[in-house]
Amino acid sequence: MSVTRTRLVIAAVLIALSFHARAEAQRGGRGGPPTPPSPRGAAPVDLTGQWVSLITEEWRQRQFTGAKGDFGSLNVVLLPPARKVAASWDPARDEAAGEQCKAYGAAGVMRLPTRLRVSWQDDTALKLETDAGTQTRLFKFGPPQGEGGDWQGLSTASWDYPQAALGGRGFGPAPGGSLKVITSRMKPGYLSRNGVPYSANAVMTEYFDRFDVPGGDPLLVVTSEIVDPEYLATPYWTSQQFKRETDAARWRPTPCAVR
Amino acid sequence: MRSARGVRVWLGAALAALGTSLAGQAPVIPGAPTGQAPAIDLSGYWTPALHEDLMERGPGAEIADYGGFPLNEAGRLWALSYDPSRVTLRHHQCEAYVAPYQMRALGNFRIWEERDPHTQRLVAIHVWAQTTEGHRVIWMDGRAHPPAWAPHTFRGFSTGRFVGNALVVRTTHMKNGALRRGNGAPQSDQATLTEFFTRHGDHLTNVTVVSDPVYLTEPMVRSSDFARQPVDPGAWLYACDDGEQILDRPDDAVPHYLFGKQPFVNEFSTRYKIPLAAGLLGAVTMYPELGPRLSTATEAEGRALLSPAAGQAPETSKATDREPRDGEVHVLPVRDNVYMLVGDGANIVVQTGDQGAFVIDTGEGKLADKVIAAIRGLTNKPIQFIANTSFRAEHTGGNARLGDAGQDPSLLGSFFVTAAPRGVTGAFSDPAAHATMMAHVNVQVRMQAANAPAAAVPADTYLEDRRRKFHNGDAIEFFYQKDAVTDGDSLIHFRRADVIVAGDIFTTTQYPVIDLKNGGSVQGEIRALNEILKKTVYRHQGEGGTYIVPGHGYLADEHEVLEYRDMVVIVRDRVKAMLDAGATLAQVKAARVTADYDTQYGANTGAWTTEMFLEAVYNSLRTRR
Repeated sequence: MSVTRTRLVIAAVLIALSFHARAEAQRGGRGGPPTPPSPRGAAPVDLTGQWVSLITEEWRQRQFTGAKGDFGSLNVVLLPPARKVAASWDPARDEAAGEQCKAYGAAGVMRLPTRLRVSWQDDTALKLETDAGTQTRLFKFGPPQGEGGDWQGLSTASWDYPQAALGGRGFGPAPGGSLKVITSRMKPGYLSRNGVPYSANAVMTEYFDRFDVPGGDPLLVVTSEIVDPEYLATPYWTSQQFKRETDAARWRPTPCAVR
Repeated sequence: MRSARGVRVWLGAALAALGTSLAGQAPVIPGAPTGQAPAIDLSGYWTPALHEDLMERGPGAEIADYGGFPLNEAGRLWALSYDPSRVTLRHHQCEAYVAPYQMRALGNFRIWEERDPHTQRLVAIHVWAQTTEGHRVIWMDGRAHPPAWAPHTFRGFSTGRFVGNALVVRTTHMKNGALRRGNGAPQSDQATLTEFFTRHGDHLTNVTVVSDPVYLTEPMVRSSDFARQPVDPGAWLYACDDGEQILDRPDDAVPHYLFGKQPFVNEFSTRYKIPLAAGLLGAVTMYPELGPRLSTATEAEGRALLSPAAGQAPETSKATDREPRDGEVHVLPVRDNVYMLVGDGANIVVQTGDQGAFVIDTGEGKLADKVIAAIRGLTNKPIQFIANTSFRAEHTGGNARLGDAGQDPSLLGSFFVTAAPRGVTGAFSDPAAHATMMAHVNVQVRMQAANAPAAAVPADTYLEDRRRKFHNGDAIEFFYQKDAVTDGDSLIHFRRADVIVAGDIFTTTQYPVIDLKNGGSVQGEIRALNEILKKTVYRHQGEGGTYIVPGHGYLADEHEVLEYRDMVVIVRDRVKAMLDAGATLAQVKAARVTADYDTQYGANTGAWTTEMFLEAVYNSLRTRR
C-alpha cells in the first residue's frame, strides 16, 4: 500500500513537472503571462521579396491569349455553363465595359507572367503585389475583415502545419510551415485570358511554400485549389512557381490588358 | 494483486507524464543525419491532377513547341532533329521515363516507406509510377552517391532528407531521355535533379528542378500535383515488349531530320498564330519578358534558329569528367565475378574465379602497380590471361607489367609450349613467368610495327570473326570488328555474367576515335555498335540487363550504346548529305553538323577533337562510299 502511494506521488510529480515545462516553453522563459507572437513574429518561413514567375507549364495558354474555346488543360474541369460563357468571350466588350482586369483577379493573376512583391503591410497582414495588371492582394491573419467583391476578393491567412485530428504519444510539433490563404468573395473574373470564367461563389485555397534550392535561387511555389460549383466540375488544382529576384529594376507595373 | 494494480497505476501515470512531456518536443530519430527534420508521411496511393499540360502529358507535345524550356542551342537542335518515329526502332520502344518526366506521367502513383526491421529507422522512401513501372528509391539513410563511373538508370540515384515541411531529394546518374514528351526536347545523362515534396492534407506537390549543363542554360522548374486516393486502384503495371515495327529496315537507319529540314516545324506556330521563334528562344520563354522579346522577333530569326549558328567554334563538352584522375585505381563490381577498374587510362575489366584472373585491357600502364594491387585484392590467383580490345596505347600500356606479374598455369608442362612464335610475349615460351596475352592478330601486327616491347605484344591471336574460351565458369567470346575505330578491335562478351567489353568502339566521353590510318571507318563503327545491340537484352523497360564496359566513361547498358549509335548514324547522315551535295571538308566543319552533340562529346583541344572526328567521318565516306 505504501509502495503504491509512493509511486502515485512520483507519477503526479512527473505530470506536474511536464506541464510546467510545456507552459514554460510556451511562455518562452520565466515570468509573465504568455504573449502570443504576432503572425509576422510567428512566421515559419520568409516569403518576402521580389519573385518572378517561371512559366514552364501550360506555357502557350499562359504566355499568349488563346483563341476562343481553346481551354487547354482546363478542359477537364469545366462545366457546360463555363463553356457557354467562354464561348461568348469578347475582349472588346470587356474593354468597353472597363473590365480589362477580369483576368487579373485573384484566381487568374497568379498564373499570368508576372513578378510578385511580397511584404508585410503590418504585423498581421502580408501584401502581395503583381506588376502584371498592377494588382494588390492582402492576406490578413485572423478573422475575415472587409466585404470583398473586388477582383482580389477577401483573403484570410494562417500559418499552416501538417496536423493530425488527435495528438499522439511521441509526436512533436510539425516542422516548417506554409502560408495558407483562403480567398472568397471575388468579383467574377477569368481563369485564363480567353474568357474562361469563375464565379462570385468561387473559393480559392492557396499554400505558399518557399524552397531553398541548394546552390540555386530560392523558389516560391503556390499550390492552389479553386472550387466553383457554378463553373467547375471538380476542384481545379494547379501549382505555380516563382524564382527569387534581387534586381528590383525588373519590376515593371503594367495596366491590365484584355489581349 | 494489490501490488500488480499499483504497478499498472504507476506505469500509466508515468507514460502519461512522458507522453505529455514529449508532446512539446521534436522527436529524435535514432541514427538520422544530424539536423534533419522529422519525417513527414507521404505514403499512400496518389493520382496526378492533370490540370496542367494535359496534352503534353497525354497525347504528347507538338514539334517545335519548346517554349517554357531553357534549352541551349544544342538542346534546341537536338529536339528539332528528332523524328518521333525513332521510337519504332526496337531498342527505343520500351524506354522508361527519366525521373523528372516520370513525375509528370499519367497513371497511378504509390509511395511507401522502407524501415529497418530492427531499429525502425527510415531507410528509404519508394515511389512507384504505373507508367513505365517506374520504381524510384529515395535513400534516406545518409548514403553517398555513386562515383561518376557507376551506371546510370532512367530514375537515377536519389537521396533525400527532410527540411522543414518538405522532403528534399537529390538525384544523379540518370540516363538521357525526354525532358518533354514526344517532341524531342532532351535531357542529358549529365542532368541532376533537386525535388521538393510537400503535402497539404490530401494534396501532394512535387517540384522538380533540373540542372543540365549539356542542354539547358539554367535550371528547369516544374511542379506537379497529386491527389491522395483511399482505395488501391489495382492498376500498377505497364507491360512492354519490343518487336519489329518496320521490316527490312537497314541496321544503320535512324529516323531524324537534317538541320533546317524538319517538315512540321511550322505547324505549331501556324496553328496557334504565334511567331515561329516563340517556341525556340530558350530561357526567355519562361519569363514575363517573352512578350517584349517577341515584339521584335522576325520570321527570319525563327528560321535561323532551326540550324546551328554560323561562324562559331564548336562547343565543348560540358559533361562531368567521368574518370577519377586522382592517381588511384578504383574497382567497380559489375556483375558476378566481373569488375571494372578505373583510373589508369582506358577502363580495365577483371574476371576472377577458381582459375587465374582474366584481364581485358591494361590501361595506360602509368598506374600498373596499383592495377596489379587492385587485382590481387580481388583474387589470390595469378593473372592468367590478358586480352586486348585494341592496340591503342591506353588499352595496352600496362601489358608488359601486368603480364610479368602473372602466369598461365594451363601451359606449364604443355606439349605445345615450345611451339611459340618467336619475338612475341613469353607466355608460350615461359608460361610460369608471364600471363598469356590474347587479341586479334592485327593488334599484334600493329604493335610490332610500332616496335612495342615483345613482353607487351599479345602472342595468342585470332584471325577470323570469333574466338572463344571457357574460363572461371563463364563462356567468353571475342568478336572481331574489322573496321570500327581500327582494324584490330574486338568486342569481348562474358556470356554468363552478360557483360560486353567494348573497348573504344563505345565510350561515354567522346566521339569515336575513328582511326582511318589504322583501318577504322565510320561505317564499320556503326556496324560494331549494332553488333553490341544485337547481343544485348534489357532487364526492364529498356534498361539494365546486359552491361557494356566502355573504353572510357561509365558502366553502361544498351541504352547508352543505342544513343551513341544513333549519334554516329545521324552525324554520318549529315556529313553524307553535304558530301553528296559537293561540300568540302571545310564546309562540313563550318556547318557545325555536330552542334547538338558537342556539349556532350565535343573537344577543341586534346588528342581527339570534334574536327578530327568530322574529318574522319568525311574522309571515311569520301573514300569508301
